[in-house]
Amino acid sequence: MGYLDALRNITITDIKLDLMRTAYDNDDALLNTFDPRVVILWSAIFVVVPWFFYEPEPLFVMLVASLLLAYLSQTSIYLLTLLIWGSVSNIGFIVVLSSAVYWWQGGSGGLQGAVVDNSVALLPFTMKLTVISVVSLAAFSAMSPKKLAKGMLSLGVPRPFTFAIAYGYRMMPVLLEEYHDLVNSLRLRNRAPENRGLLRWRYYRYLLKLSVKAFYPMTFNVAKRSRVTVEAMETKGFSHSLGDEDSRELRLGDLELLPRDVTFMLVSLLFVLVVAVFL
Amino acid sequence: MSSTTITVDDLTFRYPGSDEPVLRTANVEIGSGEFTAIIGGNGSGKTTLCKAFNGLVPHFFDGTFEGTVRVGDTVTTESDVSTLSRTVGYVFQDFENQLVQPIVRDDVEFAAKNHGLEDYEARATDALEAVGLGDAADRFIWELSGGQQHLVALAGVLAMDPEFVVVDEPAAQLDPHNARETYEQLRELQQDTDVGVIVIEHHTEFIGDYCDRLVMVADGDVAWTEPVDAGLNRVEALVDADIHPPQVTQIARQLPEGDGTLPDGRYPVTVEQAVDAFPAAASEERRPVKVDGHGFGECLISVDDVTHGYPTLREGRTTVLDSFSVTLYSGNRVALVGANGAGKSTLLRLLTGLESPDHGTVTVLGNDTNETLPEELAEETVYIHQNPEEMFVEETVREDVAYYLENRDDPDVDRRVADVIDFLNMEDIADRDGRLLSVGQQRRASLAIGLATDPTVVLLDEPTGSLDLQSRREVTRMLSRSVTRTETVVVATHDLQLVAEWADRVVVLGPDGVLADETPQSVFEQPELLARAHLRPPQVVELSDRLGIDPPSLTTSQIVDRLTTQGGR
Repeated sequence: MGYLDALRNITITDIKLDLMRTAYDNDDALLNTFDPRVVILWSAIFVVVPWFFYEPEPLFVMLVASLLLAYLSQTSIYLLTLLIWGSVSNIGFIVVLSSAVYWWQGGSGGLQGAVVDNSVALLPFTMKLTVISVVSLAAFSAMSPKKLAKGMLSLGVPRPFTFAIAYGYRMMPVLLEEYHDLVNSLRLRNRAPENRGLLRWRYYRYLLKLSVKAFYPMTFNVAKRSRVTVEAMETKGFSHSLGDEDSRELRLGDLELLPRDVTFMLVSLLFVLVVAVFL
Repeated sequence: MSSTTITVDDLTFRYPGSDEPVLRTANVEIGSGEFTAIIGGNGSGKTTLCKAFNGLVPHFFDGTFEGTVRVGDTVTTESDVSTLSRTVGYVFQDFENQLVQPIVRDDVEFAAKNHGLEDYEARATDALEAVGLGDAADRFIWELSGGQQHLVALAGVLAMDPEFVVVDEPAAQLDPHNARETYEQLRELQQDTDVGVIVIEHHTEFIGDYCDRLVMVADGDVAWTEPVDAGLNRVEALVDADIHPPQVTQIARQLPEGDGTLPDGRYPVTVEQAVDAFPAAASEERRPVKVDGHGFGECLISVDDVTHGYPTLREGRTTVLDSFSVTLYSGNRVALVGANGAGKSTLLRLLTGLESPDHGTVTVLGNDTNETLPEELAEETVYIHQNPEEMFVEETVREDVAYYLENRDDPDVDRRVADVIDFLNMEDIADRDGRLLSVGQQRRASLAIGLATDPTVVLLDEPTGSLDLQSRREVTRMLSRSVTRTETVVVATHDLQLVAEWADRVVVLGPDGVLADETPQSVFEQPELLARAHLRPPQVVELSDRLGIDPPSLTTSQIVDRLTTQGGR
């Protein structure tokens, strides 16, 4: 009962807030305390590392470690759940399909055996995918927009692109709000299906339809707004700054590698080494 | 103090693709160290003129540019926008879109960093202090109120140490309380630092209270430049440009010859001046104030012991409405007033069923909103969004008006749409895209979308927000007319002039719930109540108070009657 109530009480507002917390409230996030260049490099390494392991045990340890890291970096629970649900259901589908084919072809061991065999065979792959997604999600959602942009700029990513990141962070809540308003506005002017169908599927299909329709007016409104933004960018000297060395200097001046950044990197690598040797 | 001058010489400018120039041989000189207001009707070219000061015209909008604009000794065509912007800062009308970084401090530092100025931190700190936002430096822009965001935009401009600051229609996007705060800031800034402040403004009452000089732009030319007192006295010229003179000036004009003028023969332009000029009025016999709102008609909406709030990022859950109860009857014209965040919009959203109260019940026309889908409640209730843009989902206004009816399989869509469009007199804009209309037209279109549903209850959020006075008058008139088609209209608003002219019941919301639920008349009799709710009465009410007119007059015609009968005593 309590569990069901809790589920029912998850509102759009709560989810919105959780996403916002992930994106914006990163003062205490572990990964946000390191030099952004190190974190970017680190996540690049850990997207590759899982592919060198083939046994379930080390991969499982890595999965646990990455989840711990995601937790310390205050990654959204909703996002993590969605992500893990994505990998599991994806692989689950393959298992079901391949087992059915195997059984239909008259393979030995029957359906049950096929499911077990296929699941075990696909387990490492699932875990690899999950580790990679969790690691990159944790890294990129934990870093504050300012750090992320700075890190990328110093690694040679062009400034208009890094500006777009910061601007995206600025506008996202506004867009979210606007989108929500538009969906609501559509709801008040539509009629919900009277016959909701099994598990209210018709009702959910109807909501889904509205949420797609709301994108069009939103895009239009955003396009209208950006006109002023471009003018304002001109007055703030953005185009002036693009080729300006002093300006770049100011932007990157306070980036420095601290011993703790190096330690973080070394500890991570050591961890992988230990996992590789002992498991 | 050395002062800089912006000199415009025979400026003619035509936007690409348009046949008519927006500016025609305009000439004007504006000195720093003055508080200048630029005024003019819609489309008169005043914004284009101001965008020529920082070079956006012609560097950003390339059109046909003739004549010269000089800022100090710099000719704008020989410089560029980012260099000129260091001298002439610009706060746009939709200032939200001017803020491009997520965090306040970063945004204020943005320009200084772009120019490679090493003291960017100190500049940002000083600028934020100057606008009174020192504490907000590390907050996210989107967490701030509209008024605070406007100040951040201003701080971003001040961080460059400009000699001029141009502020485009501050009172259009801000509620009256915040607009006044902004004007206080601007005046302080202008007096303390000798920066020239230039505002584009429709609201003559702000101009009367704060500005020194008035520049009138009409038909692409600077028609005249006058000190504010004299400028606001050119009543005919103002009215021709669809600009209302301050209420006190209007009143003075309607009084018998000699009764409403200052010793030098001019009309007063501020309440202060009016108090000296106008005859004192003796107290009239008080009519009993009628108790309002209760026992009138059938009960349509009841909000019963509702507590509702929102989760926030850092401060946990904030409660907006706490054990709140109210009952609305048929025939009511209810105004919900109160400071930002007092719960006006929240209450309206609860009535639509889009949100369910955390505790308590909301019953609309016999339906408990907890048990009913918003789609079903919308059969009888219509909600008109504060921002009309959120209501346009189709490509033309006509399709938008028809949208609801078509979704409900109305047999008679075309006739009903035509009927509403005719009723609201908007044949001319019916086939255009709602998003591309002016704000005033958008507002009318959003009302049409609402009325087409033939509702029993109409909920309006800030229907007169960001409207120039012409559109405002139209919307007020439409509101009065729409009441004939509906049972109850609830308006959440900051606009006390609207309340005075239109409402018959006022619910004043404060931080701790309902501060008052009375007639407009009795609310306006309590200045301390209005102050607590961050509201400022219309000039006519303030004037009544100062002149000892009791009960206060709510409209200019009322006070003129009172003052003339006094005069003829």
